[in-house]
Amino acid sequence: MPLLEIRDLIVLYGEIEALRGVSLSVEEGQVVTLLGANGAGKSTTLRAISGLAKPAAGEILYQGQSIVGLGPEAIVRMGISHVPEGRRVFPGLTVKENIMLGASNRRAKKSELSREADAMFDLFPDIRAFSNALGWTLSGGQLQMVAVARGLMAKPRLLLLDEPSLGLAPVIVQAVFRIISEIRRTTTVLLVEQNARMGLSVADYGYVLETGRIVLGGKPDELWGNEAIAAAYLGGHAKQAATAANV
Amino acid sequence: MDLALQLLFTGIGIGAVYALVALGFVLIFRATNVVNFAQGEFSMVAAYLMVVFAVDLGWPYWVSFLCALAGMALLGAIFNLGVYYPLRHRTFLPVIIATIGASILMANSVLAIYGPQPQVLEGWFETPGIQLGPVYLDSQYLLIIAVTCVLVAFNYWFFEHTMVGKKLQATSQDKEMASLLGISVSTMIMITFIYSAVLGGLAGILVAPILFVSIQMGSTIALKAFAATIIGGFGDVTGAIIGGLSLGIIETFGAAYISVPYKDAFAFLVLVLFLVFRPQGIFGERVAEKA
Ligand SMILES: Nc1ncnc2c1ncn2[C@@H]1O[C@H](COP(=O)(O)OP(=O)(O)O)[C@@H](O)[C@H]1O
Ligand SMILES: [Mg+2]
Repeated sequence: MPLLEIRDLIVLYGEIEALRGVSLSVEEGQVVTLLGANGAGKSTTLRAISGLAKPAAGEILYQGQSIVGLGPEAIVRMGISHVPEGRRVFPGLTVKENIMLGASNRRAKKSELSREADAMFDLFPDIRAFSNALGWTLSGGQLQMVAVARGLMAKPRLLLLDEPSLGLAPVIVQAVFRIISEIRRTTTVLLVEQNARMGLSVADYGYVLETGRIVLGGKPDELWGNEAIAAAYLGGHAKQAATAANV
Repeated sequence: MDLALQLLFTGIGIGAVYALVALGFVLIFRATNVVNFAQGEFSMVAAYLMVVFAVDLGWPYWVSFLCALAGMALLGAIFNLGVYYPLRHRTFLPVIIATIGASILMANSVLAIYGPQPQVLEGWFETPGIQLGPVYLDSQYLLIIAVTCVLVAFNYWFFEHTMVGKKLQATSQDKEMASLLGISVSTMIMITFIYSAVLGGLAGILVAPILFVSIQMGSTIALKAFAATIIGGFGDVTGAIIGGLSLGIIETFGAAYISVPYKDAFAFLVLVLFLVFRPQGIFGERVAEKA
């Protein structure tokens, strides 16, 4: 039984059909990457899993149990932690407070949370020095680190990461992906990326999403050869993408 | 000079009342992005509850006080469930209109029971006050200032040093993200309404012996408190307290040195000046925190 299984998921925003029958599955212990161009429906897929978007039809099974209709608070308590697009670090709270709040899905004393947050900085040494800085003062890369650290404080069984590399300098992107390869030792990850090269570099399995439909799925090396993957995120410049992928 | 000191004391006392109500405004605004136009009515209802318990039923003052506060907590909860909660996914406009409706309902319910004539509530203390050098310290004003100091300290501790306080702040900054972390947003908003109703109620109970207990006291206090939040920088907790105190001091001095009949006008003159020259208020820059 996969840890997460989605069947024929349809999500509507008013008239717009954001997802038109998405099916995918994530096995325990894997990193699964969901690729696709802007507007393909990647974020919507994650939002449906974490309970932010209500599906019009379809099934979402977590540990074999349907979680459709549950709210985000209930879903994160079941062990699915969603680090959304745009980081969403609380601007008026400090880095450490943001991270401590990541454990709001479970009972823990404040002193315990403080210790756990300090320990979290071992995985994110770059933000340790900013522990007491307010969220709004941080750079994009720092915000991403805080967002992921906060997501991990939930002690998730499944971590949903939405475009962690978006808008970051290449060096920072690499730091973020080093962290993802650390996380994968203990946690199952469903990763959303437009950056196919980075996204697949850490993946066990990948899917390509195009205008609300999964058009392709396979192991990273199977996907590399395929022109459709380049088309899905570079809008048809397949050759260029293939070259980039081989660098 | 002696007069100035005396006026300063009185101004701080009355300003503290505005500050408490303004704090209630700001907390609800931050949690829900809605201005609660019934905030002043919380003060009015609490004052009438004191009249019911302490005057009509003749209960001891402190028992009445605790019962009135408990009543306000209940009213805050009902207000949340009946006025805000059903409209929480709508834009701010229907919610604001609902709070106006609720304020009319509260005022007219009290009017139906007590009629238009103002009621009198005694102060807490037998002793009217003490003379300290040139300044006469009225005991009710002293009580108001003491309670406000305690509440401001409590408020700071609660929001800055407890996890619930942090969760409340998180909720006011980004509800969707808060819910993704497992914070119960509806519980946080419930806490906010209860807390704000109790704050408003406290202000009403404290000020009642100074003013008369009347249907209009709610709207008068709310207008001043609203002005205080704008002067302080809308949405800023410290600003609400500073704004409330400043407004109390300004109108007391204005009444003494310029004109008594225009006492209320000074508050609004200051409000207009702020709206024209510094609409972001004293602490406006800190809006970045809320961005
Ligand atoms: N809140 C919304 N209201 C209306 N349409 C939306 C909303 N969010 C996303 N969409 C639409 O749904 C589609 C999928 O969006 P999204 O899941 O954000 O794509 P991606 O994350 O792959 O860029 C897009 O066409 C987008 O315009
Ligand atoms: Mg997206």
